[in-house]
Amino acid sequence: MSFIVPEERKVAQGVVIPSPVGENTDMITSNWRSQRPYMKDLDKCDMCRNCYIFCPDGCWTVDEENEVVIWNAKYCKGCLVCVTECTEKALDVADELDFDDGVVRLEKSF
Amino acid sequence: MAHVHEVTIWARGVVQDKEGRDVSQIIALGAERENKFTQAFDDYEDLPDRVGVPVRKYSRISDEEIVMRYDYENENPEVVIVMEEAIVKGIDILRHMTVKGILVVNTKRPAADILKFIPNKDQLDKIVCVDAEEIAAGVATVDFSGSEGGVDATTLGAGISAPLVGAAMKASGLVAFENVEAVVMNKEALKRGFEEAVIEPAN
Amino acid sequence: MAKEFTYSGCAASAQACAMAKVEVICSYPIRPYTAIMMELVKMIHNGELDAEFVHGEGEHAQFSVVIGASASGARALTGTSGVGMTYAMEVLSPIAGGRYPLQAAVADRALDPPGDFGSEHTDVMTARDQGWIIGWAETPQEVFDNHLINYRVGEDENVMLPQFVCQDGYFVSHIPGKVSVPEQSQVDEFLPPYKPHNPLNPKAPYIHAPQIKPNQGPVIDLQRAQAHLNTPKVIRQAVGEYNQIMGREYSPFLEEYRCEDAEMVIFIMGGHARTCRFAVDALRQKGVKIGMVKIRFVRPWPTDEVAECLSKFKAVGVVETSTSYGGAMKGGNLLHEVRASLYDLPVRPLTTSFMAGLGGEVVSLQGFNYVAETLTKAIAANKVNKYVQWIGFEPDWHEFVEAGG
Repeated sequence: MSFIVPEERKVAQGVVIPSPVGENTDMITSNWRSQRPYMKDLDKCDMCRNCYIFCPDGCWTVDEENEVVIWNAKYCKGCLVCVTECTEKALDVADELDFDDGVVRLEKSF
Repeated sequence: MAHVHEVTIWARGVVQDKEGRDVSQIIALGAERENKFTQAFDDYEDLPDRVGVPVRKYSRISDEEIVMRYDYENENPEVVIVMEEAIVKGIDILRHMTVKGILVVNTKRPAADILKFIPNKDQLDKIVCVDAEEIAAGVATVDFSGSEGGVDATTLGAGISAPLVGAAMKASGLVAFENVEAVVMNKEALKRGFEEAVIEPAN
Repeated sequence: MAKEFTYSGCAASAQACAMAKVEVICSYPIRPYTAIMMELVKMIHNGELDAEFVHGEGEHAQFSVVIGASASGARALTGTSGVGMTYAMEVLSPIAGGRYPLQAAVADRALDPPGDFGSEHTDVMTARDQGWIIGWAETPQEVFDNHLINYRVGEDENVMLPQFVCQDGYFVSHIPGKVSVPEQSQVDEFLPPYKPHNPLNPKAPYIHAPQIKPNQGPVIDLQRAQAHLNTPKVIRQAVGEYNQIMGREYSPFLEEYRCEDAEMVIFIMGGHARTCRFAVDALRQKGVKIGMVKIRFVRPWPTDEVAECLSKFKAVGVVETSTSYGGAMKGGNLLHEVRASLYDLPVRPLTTSFMAGLGGEVVSLQGFNYVAETLTKAIAANKVNKYVQWIGFEPDWHEFVEAGG
């Protein structure tokens, strides 16, 4: 029996597929946010690293050299736990639509 | 096969899931009072138990029995209702729209601020902005049984769904006001949505 | 007075089981059947239903808990979907062999791998050999009715068998439809209370399922086979009474749709039958002499009914929404039993099968048109080329689509 499977429907045998490394580009979750955290007052930040520790999605990274924390716009889901846990109240909340960029626009849901 | 009018509703998972479902059900029940054939169902693939994920609900109205009952998506929405404004930025809400359709958005912002995030806005005829949060006093009911395919325990249209239905019906004329009013709980909010909706051309 | 509601299949299941006054329910969440249990819990909480609700620690536990309930004399309900079914598989034969007429409400889900919520009938079709009564519903209305009919049939003293009441996940379980719900008095008239055989009771002790020796096995198996031979008559009687009390028009095993002068029929089961009706209507308008035969019970398989019904046609296209890899017909489950039923007929229709709706894919009108075209060609050539056609992947499917079929 010969079958023709259209290219866009093909699946790896046994559904064993290469694993994403570093980031999961098949599930970009920036569009889950209605609000985002932002560094309101950098002077207040004492590099306690709470935001980095508490983020469920690993969206804060620590830049030791420049003594700043860096926010990952691509995957942040806007849970705002980092804002709650920020010991010095350096982080604050802003509406996502106040910013033109930062969200990866997807063609369809996943 | 008669034309099927399709309405797609975008909402946020968990926190707006029930209100989104309310919108689809109010529209369908209102249309049934006009002896139409209807469907009102949730998108099955948008797993709704994730807080904040964009989820879809569907409402369909036709003069004859709807043949393709089991679709996973609306094949050709005419009206798209967005219950949380940031959804327009992150996903193609007008996907599959082929007619010049209507977009209804729950927002305090002016239409231009919303449209700038929609690259394919040429697809739209009109945009309607309505501040559903203010009109419904921020009420958004939650019910997990309905998310899983059961029956919601609370009544329809207690929160932000009511003004959004009002605005959508004003702009589209799909169902007469008195028919959606009959099935909605918060009739005042529905009326305000209907009357205060700002309907503008999208282009 | 019956009242009309808009219910999803899950809500209809819960409503039916509540009206059947189930006494013990054991649940474990798995999408898509979960809502049935959520609805029942709400009814217990509201005081509408007086039942014990036990949360099992898994599907195996679920089915084990209801054995105890049924053995003690309670009308018991459980349910599951997809891989939950296969996890509970060990317990299925003890339940059927122990003759406990409990019920499992199943909303189908494709089996892993990988995780797929879409509907396939494989989950319960896999359990055909375990000795349960098994049947599928097409609409939420039929789901509601099947629950009541199955309790009545299963609890009949000549049957005493457990039942699977199945519905397609999402298509039937989640998309609401109109359900006419009868009065409680009508349900009570149709469904008598459960009369258990020798229930567990400290005051009159009985042993259930002791250890036996091999030579005792055949007699027990024969008893179970006899129960299945007794069942069709009870189904006919129960459906007849149900129709009369509730005002329905179900035929017990096979529903024929537009088969009067049909040359070919689509043999189908479950939710996709609804779309099939529209496809048949459209094809009839084009002059194709086609009908649909919908089967409601897979166990006990209505051998004589299938033979008698299908003998009238020149070709039968069996739509399979389940898989039997490596099977005789290289595709699904139904064609094996259809061909076996037809074997002794002096004149047999041509039969072939079509894999459709697997993984929960929507079966489109185009899919049914392809079935009709394949059957038309088979009648013209007076033979079928293949046991099975995989819709979407056959070379002639692609030709059919390109030709605008």
